[in-house]
Amino acid sequence: MKEEKKVTGDEYLFEIAVFLATSARGCMDEPPLYGPFRLIDGLSRLIDLPKYASCLSDDAFLKRMKAEIDEKKFLVMFDPEEFRKFLDELVHQFTRKLKERTLR
Amino acid sequence: MEVFEAIKNRRSVRKYKAEPIPDELIEKILEAGRWAPTGGNLQPWKFIIVKDPKILDMIRKVSPGYLGAAPFAIVVCSDRERAYKIGGKLGRDYLCIADCSMAVENMLLAAHALGLGACPVKSFSPVALKEILDIPAGIEPELIVIIGYPDKKPSRPPRFPLEGITYINKYGEKWLKEK
Repeated sequence: MKEEKKVTGDEYLFEIAVFLATSARGCMDEPPLYGPFRLIDGLSRLIDLPKYASCLSDDAFLKRMKAEIDEKKFLVMFDPEEFRKFLDELVHQFTRKLKERTLR
Repeated sequence: MEVFEAIKNRRSVRKYKAEPIPDELIEKILEAGRWAPTGGNLQPWKFIIVKDPKILDMIRKVSPGYLGAAPFAIVVCSDRERAYKIGGKLGRDYLCIADCSMAVENMLLAAHALGLGACPVKSFSPVALKEILDIPAGIEPELIVIIGYPDKKPSRPPRFPLEGITYINKYGEKWLKEK
């Protein structure tokens, strides 16, 4: 069986850069709701960065957020109101974590 | 598989197994596309099969809508230049999109009937795709169909009820199903 090529941190960062650049151009013509979708999908991809860049460490909170994003991001396709609630809740969780990290 | 069953149970799959797809299945999917309806028999489509993992990976990276690492893709292009010569503006600006979309639907149903999962992708960078696949001027990538064995089948999305989208005899005249 062929061994899978290991993706480096540099390569993964470049992949995210390409994703963001093509998303930015796409958002000029795509439905407006795809903007938040691309941002949240980009965030999910960004959270994976420590997997490829050994100088970064895994963050349990971010990993939990990623799992939540990947589970709920497709709400945008069929239930924009629920997608909005999910984003509100996500921001809420990030803000609580921000407070905790700032004030500790 | 019965046609109504295929239509109702097909889903846009976004999680795939790495398993390769036999060539005979790929050919069946392409045949289904080739036999789609086409205005004035224009047949504006050109199909680019992508199996090379490196090329597939590049396409995925420049296509924000390409979600899930499908092991195979068909890039459906239209020959806009020829469509214009034969069908004028209607051919170039409308039939190319309509015909390629019908070809893609046939392919999606064929893939589903063959036990595969697929997803049509429009969110890609045409500029990047042309560069990666050496697509010449006059040819436009319309849709990417990503295909693989499904790892997870999505649940059924909501649809408007027929009564809410159907009229009888004139627009706005409510259509009621016969009891």
